[in-house]
Amino acid sequence: MSFFRTSMQYILKYLEEVGEMSAFAGRFFRELFRRPFESRELLRQCYNMGNKSLLLVGVTGFIIGLVFTLQSRPKMLDLGASAWIPSMVSISIVREIGPIITALICAGRIGSGIGAELGSMRVTEQIDAMEVSGTNPFKYLVVTRILATTLMIPLLVVMSDAIALFGSFLVENTKGDVSFRYFFDEVFLSLDFVDLIPSTLKTFFFGFAIGLVGCYRGYYCKHGTAGVGVAANTAVVETSMLLFVLDFIAVMVTDIFY
Amino acid sequence: MEKSVARNIRLGLFVITGTALLVAAVYFVGQKQSMFGNSSQLYAVFHDINGLRPGNNIRYSGINVGSVKEISMVSDTIIVVRFGVKNDILPHIRKNAHAIITTDGLVGNMIVNILPGSSSGLAVKAGDTIMSFARVRTDEMLTTLSVTNENAALLTAELLKITREISSGKGVIGSMIKDTTITTDLKETIHHLRHTTEASHATLTKLNRLITSLDKNNNIVGTLRDTTLPVTIRQTLANLERSSKQLVKVMDNVNGLIGNADSTITNIRKGEGAINFLSNDPVLVTKIDHTVSSLDSALMKINDAGVKLNENLEALKHNWFFKGYFKKLEKEQEKKAGKN
Amino acid sequence: MNKKSVTEGRRAVITIRGLKKFFGKNHVLNGFDMDLYEGETLVIMGKSGSGKSVMIKCLIGLETHDEGTINIMGRNMENVTEDELNEIRTEVGFLFQGSALYDSMTVRENLEFPLRRHVEKMGHFSDATPLVLEALESVGLAHAIDLMPEELSGGMKRRVALARTLILRPKIILYDEPTTGLDPITSKEIVLLMKSVQQKYKTSSIIITHDVDCARFISDRMILLVDGINYAEGTFAELDASTDPKVQAFFKS
Repeated sequence: MSFFRTSMQYILKYLEEVGEMSAFAGRFFRELFRRPFESRELLRQCYNMGNKSLLLVGVTGFIIGLVFTLQSRPKMLDLGASAWIPSMVSISIVREIGPIITALICAGRIGSGIGAELGSMRVTEQIDAMEVSGTNPFKYLVVTRILATTLMIPLLVVMSDAIALFGSFLVENTKGDVSFRYFFDEVFLSLDFVDLIPSTLKTFFFGFAIGLVGCYRGYYCKHGTAGVGVAANTAVVETSMLLFVLDFIAVMVTDIFY
Repeated sequence: MEKSVARNIRLGLFVITGTALLVAAVYFVGQKQSMFGNSSQLYAVFHDINGLRPGNNIRYSGINVGSVKEISMVSDTIIVVRFGVKNDILPHIRKNAHAIITTDGLVGNMIVNILPGSSSGLAVKAGDTIMSFARVRTDEMLTTLSVTNENAALLTAELLKITREISSGKGVIGSMIKDTTITTDLKETIHHLRHTTEASHATLTKLNRLITSLDKNNNIVGTLRDTTLPVTIRQTLANLERSSKQLVKVMDNVNGLIGNADSTITNIRKGEGAINFLSNDPVLVTKIDHTVSSLDSALMKINDAGVKLNENLEALKHNWFFKGYFKKLEKEQEKKAGKN
Repeated sequence: MNKKSVTEGRRAVITIRGLKKFFGKNHVLNGFDMDLYEGETLVIMGKSGSGKSVMIKCLIGLETHDEGTINIMGRNMENVTEDELNEIRTEVGFLFQGSALYDSMTVRENLEFPLRRHVEKMGHFSDATPLVLEALESVGLAHAIDLMPEELSGGMKRRVALARTLILRPKIILYDEPTTGLDPITSKEIVLLMKSVQQKYKTSSIIITHDVDCARFISDRMILLVDGINYAEGTFAELDASTDPKVQAFFKS
């Protein structure tokens, strides 16, 4: 009986949080179009999230391209299909690996950052201070951050894809004597708009999810400094799960249309 | 302030790089699919497209010249494939080129392969429909693995098509007028018929001479004229005669038929009762068919008769009654040869 | 009786009647009444957890109260729009217990932040430095204009926070435990500063504290908050002289 009750409580709590988060997202869209726009803060956040994540995302992308090609190369050679490596690598990177890995890394870097920053602002009453000075902390803190992640993640993904393909090319070039021209001819020959467009569109949702969950967890952070850690942690965990769910939905939707 | 300006410049650089990469990717993918630049639309009609999808490549003489744009089902057996072909390639594709759906490599993507037509043909224009063939399957490819086989497959397909059309008696005016197969067939048959008739005529003459010589010589054979053996010969002769008569009848029939067909075609040429012809046409073809088959059976009979005759003659040779006669004949011939 | 003499002829800028606030079954505020008159400094004292901070947060709209009415400068807080609330908030400054400086911004940016977001009240500035400097000078920290909050001491943070509150020229300032967590000397400095600001800007103030020295020095009038109600009211001298044991508990420690 008590087990039933606790699980009921968990479910209710979960539903409550889903509802709150939806309301939070709704508020984001309402505030998004209301003046004044915090454009300077938006640029600052874009810079922090975009430029400052580029190194991390780039290195990861490069290594993934490299390792992915190195790992699949022997098997493809066995099959006598080494000519297919460029097209195989490009499709898997552009469709899936690039977006999801970049988004996960950004969930770790940006999502936790937002969660911790807003969380500590909440517990040190900075958000309250903004509110009592008659300014709109939601607009200044949340709208700019969610917008920044939504805009920057797709760009990071594109760059990560490009760098990963370059890493893959390096392996092909050194091990298989494949020219730059041939490699990228193969890549673009095998790529289709079906690969490119949906996977780019879904990264906007990934970015939105990262910003939304991070901001939500930070903005409603409770229980002092310990709560800040919890907020950052929950933000990463929930974002990662949400990313996979979104990815799954994206794949299904893509399948319907193509 | 200085700091934020430098920051914004770097952010701008970041955004521009990312966007440029995305645009470049879209451009290159689009270019590979001939989405941008100058391409013209062509059409091909298939019964089965074997999983061809929009975006698959079009290949002409081994060059990628475009991609499939649209696949639409017009009826349960007709699928229209619309595809773009680069404008600079277009003048090289003839109207008598053939489109065929094959796989790229052994297990690769589906592609539309345009096989060049003869160089005498006119170049296609945008919006033209190219003739098509059913796709050669991968497993067939695997067993043959050569271009020759592809050609052979095409030939077979063509033959199959013609044969099917003839046998199903599809009333296409064009096929009747243009297609010389049936007439050639008929001519051939008549030729064979003549040949056979001549052959049987010769046999008959020989036989007559033999019988006459048998009559002249008052030997043992002559006395046996009314026994069973000659009866068989007579019967055979009668048979042959009957066959010949039948043959003549058949010949007449065929002649009449050709005359009929001729006059019908003349009628069409004159523009008289085209619809009338169309409605009559299947009957006509059936008639021809029928005649051909009866001709066949007649020929078979003649052949049978010939074989029987041969057998009879052979039997005569071996019969001890006639042994002497045949030997004498041989000796006389040898003497003649010696004298000469 | 004496209350009348202090407040006579003055206009109330804040009126609270029957304020109640529950956290579950815990009745933090249980019918609290209060008036703040123009130009006076009202000190509200109470033990920790007596609901002082909750009361002041209800006042500014950071917490929602469950029952009662709050009226600030003639406007009822229960039915204001968001824009009206933000307008009221420019008139009512709030100094947080922990200063609550925006630690990702410099002192200048901290002060400019509210300034640039109230164009309709403060006007538009191409350069806000004079106003920022004026506010910082009134708290004696003009030299710290380009420092980050982390480079400031606790007392300096309070002062910067006060300057940030002052920059919007509020008519009322609410202080939430202004001296808590500071050493006695710094506390004294802050209290003196509050007094000088009070005189310079002619503000009305509510000060939440449990610092008796602070209350003695600065208060025009005091309210003792006990058990969620305004238990006793009067000047410092009056309450100090009271024989009520609950009142005495505050002063004889």
